[in-house]
Amino acid sequence: MFEFLSDPYTWTLIIEGLTLTVSITLFGVLLGLGIGTLLSIGDIYGGKTIKALIAVYVEFFRGSPLFVQLFIAVYAVPAIINIQIDHAVLAFLVFGLNSGGYQKGYMKGAIETIFNDQMDAGLSTGMSRAQTLRHVILPQAYRIVIPSWTNEFCSLTKSTSALAFVGLFDLTAAGIALRFSTFQILPVWIVIGIIYLIWITSFSKIMDIVYEKKRIPGIELNMQ
Amino acid sequence: MNEIVMEAKHVYKTYKIKGDKKGEMKYVEAAKDVSLQIRKGDIKLIFGPSGSGKSTILRCMSMLDFPDKGEIYLGDLCLTKPGVDLNKARAKIGFVFQHIYLFRHLTALGNVELALRQVLKLPKEEAKKRALAALEEVKVTECVNKYPSQMSGGQAQRVGIARAIARNPDIILLDEPTSALDPELTGEVIDTLRDLAKEGTTMLIVSHEMPFAKEVAEEMIFYDEGRIIETGPPSLFFNAPNTDRAKQFMTRIINRTTRE
Repeated sequence: MFEFLSDPYTWTLIIEGLTLTVSITLFGVLLGLGIGTLLSIGDIYGGKTIKALIAVYVEFFRGSPLFVQLFIAVYAVPAIINIQIDHAVLAFLVFGLNSGGYQKGYMKGAIETIFNDQMDAGLSTGMSRAQTLRHVILPQAYRIVIPSWTNEFCSLTKSTSALAFVGLFDLTAAGIALRFSTFQILPVWIVIGIIYLIWITSFSKIMDIVYEKKRIPGIELNMQ
Repeated sequence: MNEIVMEAKHVYKTYKIKGDKKGEMKYVEAAKDVSLQIRKGDIKLIFGPSGSGKSTILRCMSMLDFPDKGEIYLGDLCLTKPGVDLNKARAKIGFVFQHIYLFRHLTALGNVELALRQVLKLPKEEAKKRALAALEEVKVTECVNKYPSQMSGGQAQRVGIARAIARNPDIILLDEPTSALDPELTGEVIDTLRDLAKEGTTMLIVSHEMPFAKEVAEEMIFYDEGRIIETGPPSLFFNAPNTDRAKQFMTRIINRTTRE
């Protein structure tokens, strides 16, 4: 049943797929962190219009299936703007934008728990709002948000299986290819599943260590 | 007479807070036509019942809250005029909070250093030197590398004071600096304030530490229901205040202190 594992070609496919899965998740989650941070600040500080725009953004990316978003980005957007863009680049942007919609919520929650008194303290020393955000609020918020961020990473990794639907060769696409070449349907998916599991578990463990290392005495809020 | 460091002119401030019933809004008049002047080297003490708006007037003076009406002056600069660089002004005003509000992700040194680096733009070494000097002045050198949660309340508040004085501000505003502390820890903070007083630091303090007030304050301001009720030297309040309300309040405070 598992003979296909001794075939080097199997591993070529798996490694190729895994590379795309890993890189799109990592970049996507990082881009999402940047977008989420900006959106959360906009949502706390912004006027009515900005808040409404952010709400529309968040609802779109949270409320529609990721593979629909991927389809739109990969097939509709290049046709509309009439520029050919590499599918992997578009997919990476979609994952970042999508993750940003979720991460805005985590960041906003974290910022609001520390916001008022720390902002007053920062302003009272002569720092501007922007300086206080950068040097006081965000460093604390990022520490609080690490566990939620790890969750986001796990769920985003699994969502990358939608990449196979738009013709990109991720880990799931590798599984589909192996299924057709080996006809061992269940064993192939078990192997693919285990590879997802190993990657996600090891990354989560690393993030747990980072969380412990970065934990500041006094900031022990766990938002998980 | 020394020059005026800070002045509030006819300041009004009303807060909207949630009422007892759902959807109901209450208005609290925390400042009604409040005017006060602090000259260089002055130590003035505001006291009065809780909820009377004492903190509000301090927050308005540093423009952490904006007055609804009236003017705040820092020297010749009117802070309530639109377009004034408030950050620059606040750099010259030290503020000590009742609940301390240290930056929780930074050590004592980091707390004091941050504004020196970001606001005064001092080079790293210079900022560290000045921060350490400030921490030494308030006698918390044992806490230099500790985080706020690893300090006692008294230590944390002295770090708060160090953060306020490190920039050499023109004035320090202190909002009940000892009232959130355990009684046995207030002494160390009071000692620090006494040292600052000896050095001629200009201070406006909201506090009910009466023995301390008697010792260092040039003027005491009795504040109730958003107004200054009576002003005078400590001897006035400790002997015979002119208003009944101040009389009653002093009796209560002094009884409480002797009971303790």
